[in-house]
Amino acid sequence: MSEVVIEVENLSKLYRLGTIGTGSFRQDVQRWWTTSVLRKEDPFFQLQGEQNSKGKGEFLWALKDVNLEVRRGEITGIIGSNGSGKSTLLKIISRIIRPTQGAVRGKGKISSLLEVGTGFHYELSGRENIYNSGYILGMRKNEIQQKFDEIVAFSGIEKFIDTPVKRYSSGMYVRLAFAVAAHLEPEILIMDEVLAVGDADFQKKCLGKMKEVSQKDGRTILFVSHSMQAITNLCQKAVWLQQGRLREIGEASAVVNKYIVGVQRLWLQQSWDSPEEAPGNDYVRFKKVELIPHLPAPNMPIDIRTPLTIKFQFWNLMDNVSLNMGMDLFTFAGDCIFDVPSPSMVCQSGLVEGECTIPGNFLNDGSYYISLMVVKDTSVPLYYFEGCLSFDVEDYRRDTNWYDKWKGAVRPSFPFQINQPVLIS
Amino acid sequence: MASNTKWDWEITNKTSYWGGSLKELWSYRQLLLSQVRRDFLLNYQQTVLGPVWILLQPIFTLITFVAVFYKMVGISTGGVPAVLFYFSGIVLWNFFNDSFGSTSFTFKENSQLFSKIYFPRIVMPLSVISTHFLRFLVQLILLVLIIIYYVLFRNFALPWHVWFFTFPVAIFFVGMIGLAMGLFFSVLTAKYRDMVNLVNLGLRLLMFVTPVIYPIGFVPEKVRWLVQINPLSPWFELFRLALLGEGTVTGFQLLYSTVFTVLALSGALLLFNKQGDKLIEVV
Repeated sequence: MSEVVIEVENLSKLYRLGTIGTGSFRQDVQRWWTTSVLRKEDPFFQLQGEQNSKGKGEFLWALKDVNLEVRRGEITGIIGSNGSGKSTLLKIISRIIRPTQGAVRGKGKISSLLEVGTGFHYELSGRENIYNSGYILGMRKNEIQQKFDEIVAFSGIEKFIDTPVKRYSSGMYVRLAFAVAAHLEPEILIMDEVLAVGDADFQKKCLGKMKEVSQKDGRTILFVSHSMQAITNLCQKAVWLQQGRLREIGEASAVVNKYIVGVQRLWLQQSWDSPEEAPGNDYVRFKKVELIPHLPAPNMPIDIRTPLTIKFQFWNLMDNVSLNMGMDLFTFAGDCIFDVPSPSMVCQSGLVEGECTIPGNFLNDGSYYISLMVVKDTSVPLYYFEGCLSFDVEDYRRDTNWYDKWKGAVRPSFPFQINQPVLIS
Repeated sequence: MASNTKWDWEITNKTSYWGGSLKELWSYRQLLLSQVRRDFLLNYQQTVLGPVWILLQPIFTLITFVAVFYKMVGISTGGVPAVLFYFSGIVLWNFFNDSFGSTSFTFKENSQLFSKIYFPRIVMPLSVISTHFLRFLVQLILLVLIIIYYVLFRNFALPWHVWFFTFPVAIFFVGMIGLAMGLFFSVLTAKYRDMVNLVNLGLRLLMFVTPVIYPIGFVPEKVRWLVQINPLSPWFELFRLALLGEGTVTGFQLLYSTVFTVLALSGALLLFNKQGDKLIEVV
């Protein structure tokens, strides 16, 4: 096993919530007095203990007792829902903020990319920005000069290199900024969601670059992402943070699977116990909406091959009405992909249930959401339950060498044949 | 976990008064230079006159001062021509004003950058002050040219004396006082926004107790102490004494101001290092 290059020991970070204003000067003085002059414990740690036991949220542990080791040449992915402390952890390791307790120790030079375009200035030209950003990210002059052409070529903006960056399109800006970052050569690289920007094309290019660099140069990378696919593709090891605590650590695909089971499933179902609190109106109230993916094994993510069944139940509050349903599927950008109506049926008051299945090999990879509509007499909309379910579809490619973004909102597998007519000579 | 492993660095909740090592700072020298270059480029981006503004700004101030304080109010400038007297004061005051004013918002203005990447925070105020020093040098050259013009064509008898060689000392100390106060207030403006107003107001008022528009010798005895406790005063007088041959300065004042500068600068550096790493959470 290679040597440990980063060691995180009992790392905790406490945040004071609310506005820092009234009393903060007094608290500063008080803290300084007790810790520096009287050499006692910080009064606000004790204070926090009491607060927490009462369940009052004036203080928040963004990280609590996190222990972690990163070895040389390893790519470690960090996953967790929003607010789980991923970014806080990266910021502490990058020396941007200080931990409240615990320590991080390491060997070698760290570079961190917590945003795309650190040190970029809108008024300056692309050329100036490559240099400025390079220096800020910790590159040396000869390093930047050496790689300058490579950076420009990677970003693909040769023609605009002397134009102020403010005239760039946002795509060009991101490409240039990432190109600088991709040519960093630190011993340890720390990245936060940088891949969440830019078009899908460019994201794939960046992932490729990262993989290439880590395999060739044996660079250590710490990497936060929401893309489970990127994590399983790139990382050997993954860390799952939940509410500031270390939930799982281990082999990347194993941790990702547990994470998907533990978290993603929760988003795929919503239910309500009584009509009073359920979403709806005087005519209908929803009891349950659920998305059931038909997966070959329970620990797998939804990918483009997965058939999806949408099940729903609602309370119908009217007698003798003719009802039908509409199911709309939207991309996350809000474009409607289809609007499927159900047959109508005369219903009495009480529960009504139904289901609809989206076949596998139909949707493209991406994020989608579903809205349901209840319609009376096939003409009067009664209730539109917008965005009641949302889900991600991961890419899956086995039989192709095509690595660019697959175009289109859907990727149906229609019968498609090619052949060569037999020529009679 | 082997406890005898040697680590290159460690991050805990302890921040040091001493900050990073000088070696670390040295490794960021190119960043400092690029920031200076950037500031220059930014200042004159999309301007018609570009770097000429470095000279226009003190020239217009000079015209105003001569018109208001010399012609209208009638403040005496001693044996020195008004233009030379005011211009030397304006140029040196601008250097102090810019050094102090722009370094005192280091954290406030760079919070976006500081929250995304680590480098020794002191690089920023140092680069800002270097930029202003370069601008000052350009203005100083203009001042010297004007002096030469007065000597050659206006019969201004510039007495030759050994004090001449002390003007870089005056410049150095004015810059260091500006940096010391800037570093000190950069910590305060990050934490308490009231300080922004205080800095702006303070700078404006400070000019009137510094011998910029009047020679210290013309201040009435009763209120002269007000100007004399200002550690900037002896350096302004020394600067004029060196370049124009007239100024009132005593050894005691120079000693007092030197001690003040050394103490203030070391105190400000310690505070800046100690607080610098924590401030990013409060800005």
